[in-house]
Amino acid sequence: MNKMKLLITVVAAVFVFHASAKDYFVSDFGAKADGTTLNTRTIQSAINFISEKGGGRLIFQVGNYVTGSIYLKSNVTLHLEPGATILGSTNPFDYVIDPTTKWCSMIFAVKQENIGITGKGTINGRGFITANNLVEYIHRGIYEDELKLDRPREWKRPQNINFRECTNIVITGITLRDPASWNQTYDQCKNLYVDGITVDSKSYWNNDGIDIVDCDGVVVKNSYFDAADDVICFKSHDANSICQNVVVENCVGRSSANGVKFGTVSRGGFRNFKIKNITIFDTFRSAITFAAVDGGLVENIEVDSVRSINTGNVIFLRIGDRWSKGKKPSMKNIRISNVYAEVPITKPDAGYNYEGPVEDNPRNISPASIVGLPDYRIQDVKLKNIEIVYPGAGNPLYAYRGITSAELDSIPEMRKRYPEFSQWKELPAWGFYVRHADGIEFENVKLVAEEKDYRPSIVIDDVKGATFNDVEFVEPGSEGKDQIIQNRSANVVIE
Amino acid sequence: MKKCKIFIISIFVLLFALSLSAKDYKASLFGVKSDGVTLNTGSIQYAIDYISENGGGRLVFYVGRYLTGSFYLKSNVTIQLEEGAVLVAFHSIYDYFEVNGTNGLILADSVENIGISGKGVVEGNSSAVLKSIDEQIEKGNLEKTAKQAKPVLANFNDCGNVTIEGVILQDACGDVQVFSGCKNVQVNSVTVKSTSVLESKGIVFSNCTGFAVNDSYFETLGEELSSKGTSKNVSVSGSVNSKGKKLKASK
Repeated sequence: MNKMKLLITVVAAVFVFHASAKDYFVSDFGAKADGTTLNTRTIQSAINFISEKGGGRLIFQVGNYVTGSIYLKSNVTLHLEPGATILGSTNPFDYVIDPTTKWCSMIFAVKQENIGITGKGTINGRGFITANNLVEYIHRGIYEDELKLDRPREWKRPQNINFRECTNIVITGITLRDPASWNQTYDQCKNLYVDGITVDSKSYWNNDGIDIVDCDGVVVKNSYFDAADDVICFKSHDANSICQNVVVENCVGRSSANGVKFGTVSRGGFRNFKIKNITIFDTFRSAITFAAVDGGLVENIEVDSVRSINTGNVIFLRIGDRWSKGKKPSMKNIRISNVYAEVPITKPDAGYNYEGPVEDNPRNISPASIVGLPDYRIQDVKLKNIEIVYPGAGNPLYAYRGITSAELDSIPEMRKRYPEFSQWKELPAWGFYVRHADGIEFENVKLVAEEKDYRPSIVIDDVKGATFNDVEFVEPGSEGKDQIIQNRSANVVIE
Repeated sequence: MKKCKIFIISIFVLLFALSLSAKDYKASLFGVKSDGVTLNTGSIQYAIDYISENGGGRLVFYVGRYLTGSFYLKSNVTIQLEEGAVLVAFHSIYDYFEVNGTNGLILADSVENIGISGKGVVEGNSSAVLKSIDEQIEKGNLEKTAKQAKPVLANFNDCGNVTIEGVILQDACGDVQVFSGCKNVQVNSVTVKSTSVLESKGIVFSNCTGFAVNDSYFETLGEELSSKGTSKNVSVSGSVNSKGKKLKASK
């Protein structure tokens, strides 16, 4: 992992370079911090001016600065002092959909370098109002949208930040709140350094915490996310690109979707990740979801030190075949260690704005799962020092999946299905379900069911090569119960 | 009988065409606010683009103060200012765009069948805009030459069938109206009052074909009508300045 240290050094050097540039005050360009004046053109003119003069920081002092879409230019950093807030205009017509990124945003940057947003201030998209204003215009017939799921499509709603094909980006210290869509997208960027940010965002559908798409050289650390949709989301939109060389460290997140997620769009893939010291709480879906469902790869991923508290699912690894278009999805060399997790019996995100959708899924509490396809197998997954506390209490009268060969074989592959830990409804295990995978290692794994469950703890189905070393099961009234069930599997060693 | 049928059909087609072009859209439909505080540029531009793309019509402003920066008129769109409606120019120089080298509040470039009409006002807000320009030059954020780019109220370039009718055009920062290379321009019953800026001219027109000013009143510190380059078929009738002087086509 020396490569990763080098990456941090390089990205930190970029950060130091930024700090030495000249300072300009946005108020000197006539921007008003009154919370009502629309400053779009003034801020844009200031950015253009600073970029043309060789670069520097555009400083926002305490106050509320309203703006619509602006474009960050090379060598310019927006610096938000404590108490300074950039407020998104609530008028959808104050924003543009960028012709390159094809998305709507407040702060854009396209093909720029040495840019950043720093300081202890806030960016507040006020997206709930903006999104609902847009809904109103759609109903009036003056703005075209199919209102799928009775909401405007996500690329027509302003994000807070949308950067594309930029190099050397520094995002530090700031608080991001309430966009109408995703919070921040970095797409095909190089050298992205995110440190000490706070995302507080439960204002509208698709409020992801951070979306990193096909980027190379990324550090996300010391940050806190409370988001309606995925917390830290890596995507690969381009089949010829890849998201790689990434460090995620010391982050805490809460979501009505997933914690750390690869996908759902996963065309190129994800390679060389180190994810360390992560806490995920009150989260509706999985703390960790790695999905390769669109032909991309997932390779060389190390996850170390995870706390997952009151989260609906802990680990979900999935190969699917959704939009692969002839490309072969793959997933190999995944190491997950030092995990402590508690899965609740109740809805983990109950009471938050924009709660995760209740599914028509009579199922008992779902296990962690590692599920490939017969022809695209998940390879070399090592799970070490893991403790997961489940509620247990699986009731066969409510939902039932038996463990005979016929019953296990009958679980559908769902190749094209949107990947979600709950997609199979009832699964035959309460702890782990592993299917179509080769080279699975469990070492020092403790699985606890707080109440008796009708299912075994672990089911492996079509697994070639599995080692269970020092695996402990705690379940009341389970004396003599066979906790590891095998089907169509070979080379399984239980020590 | 056949002729009659064709005649009736053509009447209907004509009526249909007229109804298309005459369709009115209230500004509030697009979220435009009349409070004098909300900067409406984005909504007004969206409204104009929408009306133009949907066959044309009038964007109608009723009584109130409508703050805006530069916007572009598009083909077959008329800005209708009802009595008491004031289109107020935003103070910041950074909210203005140029066409053909001249900043303007209402811009039009290479479009046709456009206009500004009604009994309302276009207000240039000159002292505030000039203050913004001076401050930004003083702070070194604007080049000194920016002074030459003081926004006019209406700047139309290479447009066909332009009608300015009835409205009050006041307090421009630069000149009031600029027409370059336009065909068939009618300025009728317009009141021009622009007395804050020394060189502010009433109308500057150049290389236009078919240019008529009728029944209008001009109170300006600069020239009322200024012709640059060559224009053809220029006519001025029934128009005076504040001293009662009857205005003529100057060249």
